[in-house]
This record gives sequence, structure tokens and C-alpha cells, in this order.
Amino acid sequence: MQISKSSESTDQTSALELDNVSLSYDGGPNVLTNLNLSLPSGSFHFLTGASGAGKTSLLKLLYLAQRPTQGSVRLFGTNVTAAARSALPAIRRKVGVVFQDFRLLDHLSAFDNVALPLRVANAPEPEIKSNVSELLSWVGLDEYMDAKPETLSGGQKQRVAIARAVVNRPRLILADEPTGNVDDTIAMRLMQLFMEMNKLGSNVIIATHNEHLVAKFGFNRLALENHRLSELPPLAANGAQA
Amino acid sequence: MISLRTDLPLGGDSASRFIPWLMAIMVFLGILSVSGVAVFDTILSGWSRAVTGTLTVQIPALSAINEDSANQARTDRAVAALESLPSVRSVKVLKNTEIEALLAPWLGDAAAIGDLPIPVLIDVSLSDESTAIIEGLRTAVTTVVPDAIIDDHRRWFEHLIDLTEGFRLLTIGIALIVTTALALTVVYATRASMAEFREVISVLHLIGARDIYVATQFAKRTLSAALKGSAGGLLAGVFTQIAIGLLASNVESGFLPDIDLGFGFWISLPLVSLAAAVLAMITAYITVLSTLRSMV
Ligand SMILES: Nc1ncnc2c1ncn2[C@@H]1O[C@H](COP(=O)(O)OP(=O)(O)OP(=O)(O)O)[C@@H](O)[C@H]1O
Ligand SMILES: [Mg+2]
Repeated sequence: MQISKSSESTDQTSALELDNVSLSYDGGPNVLTNLNLSLPSGSFHFLTGASGAGKTSLLKLLYLAQRPTQGSVRLFGTNVTAAARSALPAIRRKVGVVFQDFRLLDHLSAFDNVALPLRVANAPEPEIKSNVSELLSWVGLDEYMDAKPETLSGGQKQRVAIARAVVNRPRLILADEPTGNVDDTIAMRLMQLFMEMNKLGSNVIIATHNEHLVAKFGFNRLALENHRLSELPPLAANGAQA
Repeated sequence: MISLRTDLPLGGDSASRFIPWLMAIMVFLGILSVSGVAVFDTILSGWSRAVTGTLTVQIPALSAINEDSANQARTDRAVAALESLPSVRSVKVLKNTEIEALLAPWLGDAAAIGDLPIPVLIDVSLSDESTAIIEGLRTAVTTVVPDAIIDDHRRWFEHLIDLTEGFRLLTIGIALIVTTALALTVVYATRASMAEFREVISVLHLIGARDIYVATQFAKRTLSAALKGSAGGLLAGVFTQIAIGLLASNVESGFLPDIDLGFGFWISLPLVSLAAAVLAMITAYITVLSTLRSMV
């Protein structure tokens, strides 16, 4: 019992904690060095940094595709760095990810791609049907439910990927350049979706290069520079606010 | 019902190319060995029905010439002794013509047989065949005719049973080899497919799939590929079976007993095919689970 207690955080308000986290690939130089961070439930952040700064790498640590070389990651009070392999699926189901390269399954329709997180969690098929259809309509793809990813444009694929990331109402949403391939109108609509999810209680972290987006929505920033992470206040903007 | 829908692509990988053919061949071989045993059993039980409850008493002829009355007396004594036994149902002395008919294929011209010291053969049918009864009969007959030979078919029959057992062991051996080959090939094909579907497996894991979910996907897929193949193997097996049956019925009757393999045999064929497909499915499931667990 001692052990399981020590892996549960006593601070319930912290959804995400990094404790002295470093990462290097295959014994190479550090991509991330000594990151410390604690985010309360319901936070919304942009993750910024130059190309190659390590944004995707940091997100990988958070969606458990990568273990830190040093330090520990806590999600919703559980030390995921120390967690057993069998404990990971349950944690991953609480995290929705929009991958930078989408990672849609090519042989599945848009509908089935979006349905995947629900199927994996054994949700009943009628519930899957209504949730997925509703969400695909919301991202403007109701005409494309049966389309295979290869027949979709980059922006359409991105919207499928976003729908898949949020369909099971995850507690943490990680989006890697989610507006990279869409025009401003759709980008606004997608931001609105993330903000809705955030209102419902999800933590959201959006990695982006898009200064314009960061300026328009005044959210706190996490900035990666020289392998280190700093929390910055909202970018002073032209009055626009969420 | 269980849906065979999976999150994996429908074809194009090692497992979906390999497994149907593999299954077809294995099921075909399986059916041939099962029917081999069934045919052999049927023939054997036909023979054993013909010889059980009977034995033959041989009274050797004393000499070729002019001993007819002595021979007759010996025969009569033996028949009387046999008839006095309670477990003897009937006693029949084979006529010379019948014996000549039995010997004709070996000795040829029947005219010559009259000059040979041909033994007298007595067919005895028994109501009880236990060793004690047969030993009692042997004592009773040899008391009155010391050089009488009692042939209870047992020796011949025991050889036949040895042969059947050998044949059975051989079939079990073949079945084991076929099953092992099936399982090993499924393991190999499943591993190859897992490598080909690395990206799909990775995405499934990242969105929260458990190893069991991934393994189930592969198992369903393997089952549907295996069912396709084993249906083919079943058809080919049954077709071959019927063809052999037709060929056998063309063989002069009497040489082979009529072979009716029965309902149980025919119903066992689809069951064997189904069992092979299920075996492939379980093998794929276990392979995926153990491969995933060995990954970090
Ligand atoms: N799998 C990997 N193996 C080795 N090195 C890697 C791997 N993934 C990323 N890197 C390296 O880590 C560094 C950070 O990469 P990362 O993809 O995290 O950057 P990023 O901030 O997401 O960049 P971008 O904005 O272009 O997407 C880069 O120098 C990259 O070459
Ligand atoms: Mg990146």
C-alpha cells in the first residue's frame, strides 16, 4: 500500500507535473533539459519554440510515447514514468493527441478513425455512432464520413485527427500544430472546439509556430528555448481574448 | 454474434496471404489421415465380426492312403467332444469340396487334391469366447484326438490389432506434426504481419488500446483467413474421399468389405476443419500478446 500511495499525488489540483525532466535520443545530446512544470486542472497553454526546439518531444513524453531519460512525469496524480506497462492504457485514454503528422489509419474511413478511441475503450456501438457523427459534423466533415484518409486534403485529415483526439472527452488534450494546414476560418472553428473542451474541464496544450494564433487568443505560453522550458504570460495582443 | 470487423487492413500482409493456403493444406492432410483411420477401423471391425465367436479345429490326416475309417473315427470323437461342451453353439465339419475350394487357388488342379493328406476342418461357433472356455475346449478335444490343432484366430487377429495400433500411432504422429507445423507457421506469419502493421499497432496503443485489444484484432483476422482456407481444404478433402470411395466400389466386390463410414465420420470432418481454424486463431492471439509484452 505504501507504494501505491506514493504514486498518487496528494495535490489533486495538479493535472500535469514535470519533475526535473530531461530527454535525449539514443544517448545523443539533450533535447530537453531539466524541465519543471506544474499545471492545474483546466489550464490552456500554447507551447511555442522554434522548429527543432523539442515541442513534439515534450508532447511525446506527455502522451507516453517516450520515457524521459531523467526525472519524472506525473499525469492526474500518477507517476507515469514509474508506472507498469499494464497501467498505461488507462492513462492514455485520458489523453487525446493530435499528432503533427496526423497518424490516421489509412485503411479506415474518417468515421472509423474517429471511432477508434471509443472502440478501444469498448464503448457501445450506438453511442459511438452518435458521438462520432456529431463531432464530424462539427468539424465540417459530415460529407466525408466514409472517405479514406488518402482521399482527404491535408486540412480535412487534420480535422479528422482533431475529432479523434477529442471524441472520448479526454482530461488532457495535446495538439501538435493543429491549425497548420487549415485556413483562418477553420482554424478559428477548431480553436473554438478546443476551448469548448477546455470549458468542460480538459487541460489543453497546443504546440504551434503560429504567432498570429498565439497573439489572437490570449492564453499562457510554455516556451521552449535552448532545451529549457519557461512559462510566459499571454502574448500582448491586439485586444482579442478567448 | 461476434463481429469479425477489425481495425487492421483486410489483406496484403504475410498472414493474410499465407494462412488460407496453409490451412487448406493442413485441413486436407488432416482429413486424409482421419479417413485413413476410419476406413481401416471399418475394415477391421468387419473382419473381426466375421471371426469372433468362431474357431477352427484341425484334425490332421493320419496318412494319405486307406486310413479313411480311422480318420472318420477321429473326426467323430472330436465332434462329440465339442458338442458336449455347453458354450459351443454349433459344430460344422467342412466338406471335402469346400476344403478343395479353399485350397484351389494355391494348389491349382482339384483332381490332385484327393491324393493329399488333407486335414479335416471343423468350424465351431461359440457363445462364449473367454480364454478359460477356449482352454477347456482345447483340453476336451486333445484328450480324444491328441494331435488336433485348435486355431482360435487369435494369433492372426492379434497381429492385425498390432497393425491397427501401429497405424493409429502413425496417424496421431502425422496429426501432431501437422498441428505443430500449423502453429509454427501461424506464429511466423503473425510476427511478420505485426512488423508490417507496426504503425497501426503503435497508434492503437497511443489511443489507449490494451494488448488484449490488439491481440483480439489479429485473432479475428486470423480466424477469418483460416476459415476461408479450411473450408477449401474441407471441400478438397471430401471430394477426394468421395472419389476414392467410387474407385473402391469399382474393385471386385468381396475383396474389400462394404465401407460405410457413418454419420459420425462425416460430421467429424467439418469439426476438424473448424478446430484447425480455432487453433490458428488462438495461436495468433498468444503470439501477439507475447510479442507485445516483450516490447517495451
Ligand atoms: N526519434 C528521434 N530520434 C532522434 N532524434 C530525434 C527524434 N525525434 C526528434 N529528434 C530530435 O530532437 C530535436 C527536437 O525535435 P522535435 O521534433 O521535438 O522538435 P519540434 O519542436 O517539434 O520541431 P517542429 O516545430 O519542426 O515540429 C530535433 O533536433 C530532432 O532532430
Ligand atoms: Mg514538432
